[in-house]
Amino acid sequence: MSMEELQGQLAACFNIGDAASQQSAQTAYQYTDMLKSGQISKEEYTELMADIARTNEINKSVANVQLMEYMNTAINGLINLASMI
Amino acid sequence: MRGLTGIIVKKKITTKFGNNHMKKIFISLIAMLSLSGCMLLDSYLMTKYDPNEYKLITDVRAEAQTYKTQCEDAGLSKQNSIKLAYDSQLFALYSEHIPRNKDLIKASADLHLIAQGLADQYIKSDKVSTAFCKIKFDSVEKSAEKIQTVIGSKPR
Repeated sequence: MSMEELQGQLAACFNIGDAASQQSAQTAYQYTDMLKSGQISKEEYTELMADIARTNEINKSVANVQLMEYMNTAINGLINLASMI
Repeated sequence: MRGLTGIIVKKKITTKFGNNHMKKIFISLIAMLSLSGCMLLDSYLMTKYDPNEYKLITDVRAEAQTYKTQCEDAGLSKQNSIKLAYDSQLFALYSEHIPRNKDLIKASADLHLIAQGLADQYIKSDKVSTAFCKIKFDSVEKSAEKIQTVIGSKPR
């Protein structure tokens, strides 16, 4: 499969899946364009593609912490409320 | 008698906080009951705000923000990338043994990998592209900002 075909597959992902997947596909497409135009080397391209996965992992971890913080606020709010009754 | 007490308590709460507040509490209660016991416990016992952790991630973010504007200068950027890799490592190591902190341990390790990738390119080759340098520092800055937000919002 050629690079153009693979890039075409990425373009097909622009409007499907969740927002994070769409963003990842657009970023990967942009990096592929930069590689083709010689703005970045092959090694740099590989590293940037790996960064897409790392960034997604960071986003997932951050979302988990946000959920915990929300729950912590709710639990402590209910405990405070119960102590007032 | 028990029913009467319930009505009196409900009336007291409604009077004190209003109906909207009651609705929010009720929704929170339903949401919490639908979660597993472990998750509830994890949320309740979650690690408190740590000013040192917040300072370290703020440093990483500020450095990345400044360094991305200096990518035209390859010599300076090499030094900058090494400094950022070190500071992100410091943040990852600091987070590593904080109890009940697994998500931020993972996030800090991933952030360090992004920063280290740029330093490694500068160490391996003298010809690192300006575009790569800017994208890398920008990635670190954006991820550091997200991490900083959740660290700053931890319970006090």
